Amino acid sequence: MSSGSEARIVGAAEATYERHPAVERRTDTFIAEAVVAALADAGVDHGEVDGFGVASFSLAPDHAVDLAWKLGLTVKWLMEDTNGGASGVNMLQHAQRAIEAGDAETIVIAAGDRMEKREFHLMTDRYNKVARDYMAPLPLNGPNALFAFLTERYSRAHGLEREDWACVPIAQRAWATKNPGAVYRSPMTLDDYLDSVPIAPPLTRYDCVPIVSGGDAIVVTSAERAEELGGPSVGVRAIRSIYNPDQQDGDGINTGFAAIRDDLWSAAGVRPEDVGAAFIYDDYPVMVAVQLGDLGLIPGMDIKRYVHKTLLEEGWPMNTSGGQLSAGQAGAAGGLHGIVEATRQLRGEAGERQVEGLELALATGYGMVLYTHGASHNAAVLERHG
Amino acid sequence: MSAPMTVAECPTCGYLAYPPRILCPNCGDSDWKRRLAGSGVVTEVTVRRPVFKRRQLPWGNWLDQEATRLAAVQSDVGVRIIARVPEGVEVGDRVALVQQGSTAIALPGHQVEAVPLGEEPAARVNPPLSDWPGRQEGE
Repeated sequence: MSSGSEARIVGAAEATYERHPAVERRTDTFIAEAVVAALADAGVDHGEVDGFGVASFSLAPDHAVDLAWKLGLTVKWLMEDTNGGASGVNMLQHAQRAIEAGDAETIVIAAGDRMEKREFHLMTDRYNKVARDYMAPLPLNGPNALFAFLTERYSRAHGLEREDWACVPIAQRAWATKNPGAVYRSPMTLDDYLDSVPIAPPLTRYDCVPIVSGGDAIVVTSAERAEELGGPSVGVRAIRSIYNPDQQDGDGINTGFAAIRDDLWSAAGVRPEDVGAAFIYDDYPVMVAVQLGDLGLIPGMDIKRYVHKTLLEEGWPMNTSGGQLSAGQAGAAGGLHGIVEATRQLRGEAGERQVEGLELALATGYGMVLYTHGASHNAAVLERHG
Repeated sequence: MSAPMTVAECPTCGYLAYPPRILCPNCGDSDWKRRLAGSGVVTEVTVRRPVFKRRQLPWGNWLDQEATRLAAVQSDVGVRIIARVPEGVEVGDRVALVQQGSTAIALPGHQVEAVPLGEEPAARVNPPLSDWPGRQEGE
């Protein structure tokens, strides 16, 4: 019986996000490109992979095993994740345990979607039975209106104005100018933000993620194999998750992240102020504020000061890829996007936007609106090795 | 045709659910009865511009698209309901909650004309679910 070891992320890659992909570029294409690039980044041979996990909204009627076949992978460990924005951290949590238990040694985790406007709206209208039966007929037209409500509620509770919310996308756009993979790379001014097209007031275009097609992948292997491969790798200090913490009876701005906070930091053996960068699931600026607050990253819960001073003025490294708000949301790949950027940063491969001396980072996942707000929450504390 | 809004109520513990669930999260019971939730207060409003000129619903028929005014409504029985609202309904307004099929609609005024399910129930919010760390009171 094989015994496992600690898990390490040794490679990460993204299939270039595209707003309007050519017709022949399907979901499989984007996922495959990300997988190939992640293996190349890790220096791991295709034949060495013995575990595969995938998340996608548009894989049907295929499943993980169909994709493993099409990618030529024979695996001992297989999973398909349906948690959308929380799928990346969830798959990493499972992969870590599989490697520790010795069930597999080298796991590829991938996510991706071909997602255009029409495909996005077909997806959101059929997101779940409640979306199909109760929301689509309103018509809701996707989740923007629900997050407009959460933004209003949060603004009221914390005394925020549009000028405050502007700090989140503007700060992230400043990072995106240094990420050639982001779909929006030109600097954003306060006027750009304030003058942008209303989508679901108070939300405007720059509060909503650009819908893109793309794919993300990481390679996770044992500490021993990571050592052989050489170079820096990324270890998992702790991952904590909670699903359906409040039966949708909560207000959506006090979330399950608060429920996992203490356990996460105590399992990781570090404090929120010890992380040098954060990769927060940013489907909307309000969820960035909610997660940073509930996970304990905002001193004294002074959110106004945090967004103006820490994020905008000091440029503290939060979502250094530009996040989904600037880089784009490629369907379920959005759940892996932050982990890919965290891996690049921790391994020192982030190019012009590299955070110097980064040792510890936080990556989060959030998603799966059941009725009024998301039900899936998870967070990973990641550290650099080597 | 529209009917007053109803939500599911667990007869064992009084937990209220909308949309309906299978098992009561509070006591695990699977028997539900209906309870009138015909009125509430608007807490947030937004307007969604149409995404497409015409759009096909999941069951096949096509709908011409107009801007849709949507609201989060805190019903008087305590359950939050996402509803379509007409022009003129604003945050803080009392509204009547009605349903057309499974679509929730909030209309100006708080009187529900037809009350087919007995007398108007007294307001009751959901009993607290088992506490989880970090859970905070609402605003």
